[in-house]
Amino acid sequence: MIKKTLYFGNPAYLNTRDEQLVINFPGAKGIDDLTKMNTVPIEDIGVVILDHQQITISHSLVAKLLANNAALITCDHTHHPTGLMLNLDGNQLQSARFKTQADATLPLKKQLWQQTVKQKILNQALFLQKNGINHENLLKWSDDVKSGDPDNLEARAAVYYWKNVFCNLRLTENSSLAFHLTDFKREREGHPPNNLLNYGYAILRAIVARSLTGSGLLPTMGIYHRNQYNAYCLADDIMEPYRPYVDSLVYNIVKNGEDFTELTNSIKKQLLSIPTMDVVIDEEKSPLMIGVQRTTSSLAKCFEGKLRKIAYPRFL
Amino acid sequence: MRLNEYRIMWVLVLFDLPTESKKERKVASEFRKKMLKDGFTMFQFSIYLRHSSSKENAEVHIKRVKSFLPEKGHVGIMCITDKQFGMMEIFYNQERKTKATNPEQLELF
Repeated sequence: MIKKTLYFGNPAYLNTRDEQLVINFPGAKGIDDLTKMNTVPIEDIGVVILDHQQITISHSLVAKLLANNAALITCDHTHHPTGLMLNLDGNQLQSARFKTQADATLPLKKQLWQQTVKQKILNQALFLQKNGINHENLLKWSDDVKSGDPDNLEARAAVYYWKNVFCNLRLTENSSLAFHLTDFKREREGHPPNNLLNYGYAILRAIVARSLTGSGLLPTMGIYHRNQYNAYCLADDIMEPYRPYVDSLVYNIVKNGEDFTELTNSIKKQLLSIPTMDVVIDEEKSPLMIGVQRTTSSLAKCFEGKLRKIAYPRFL
Repeated sequence: MRLNEYRIMWVLVLFDLPTESKKERKVASEFRKKMLKDGFTMFQFSIYLRHSSSKENAEVHIKRVKSFLPEKGHVGIMCITDKQFGMMEIFYNQERKTKATNPEQLELF
């Protein structure tokens, strides 16, 4: 079932009672213990985002959230997600799964990476196609990806993709923003709309990491990413084909002419709808959060040798 | 949107439990406690509600309530769509009250 996303952007006291998350606001705005309408069942929660410096959260609540496999995201004062807390023991077959993941052979990892890159480039192509941008070369590159992607087609595709993705958006009022769109560079610290992409990817990463722990895998041991500074290598690998979904959200925000230099509440709301976006895997439509769960459970089966193909979504 | 008012369900549990003896009261309050733990909230004395995101999810909670039914007493379990639930009119001392807002998939506090 699709779990809830809770976002706290105001001072709040969060604790737990009767397996429920209890919300109290200082100087209550109608949400406090008097109304009794301030609880959320913990088992229905998928993602919790703490985005205010004056949130107090009790440890028993944190423990219960993790026990129910919810992802807990903390943000810094600039409202960017900085931390992610996950369950360590999210699956019955935990140690058996860890073992198959750790013992995965190099050829297997290379094949899985090939499937991942293929689908990512294909999804990027389909996204460009949807917006009427030339994408023939991406389709070809997607077919050409070899095991382990030795030609680094992923990077070549990314260069072409980011050069062209925002190029047909015309902004009238703000010339400097418009310039950055026609000359867009995808960089973490880059010009807007990089800030929106960072935010969206952080939410996506949390959903994928949560789902990986739920399937009994370690989000740390990647199949391709091996950055020693990154704690979520596998999440970064598996989220690749899902990135165009975030890109399309950001694209629409920019297209609608909203001011995207700052992360406003309305923009956050749109980016937080990522878990409920429709994705299609093998002709079956489901919300993204459920789709990711199908992807990670198929990945666990690939590590066990029961499956040969990861179930990735096809962008429509 | 797949999370619409026709798909979302509300589970209503209506019950009358005997509270004559001390033991009966204990059983009744245990039943109530278990409901609270399963995410039900009190709407009126002995009427409890729970929001479920789908029919399947509602089935899960109905099954759970059935699993801890008290030995004695009269319990009714009902499931209605969010659309029907939203049409309920609520009065406090003859004054119309707006219903508390629904839990949604994404909640911003």
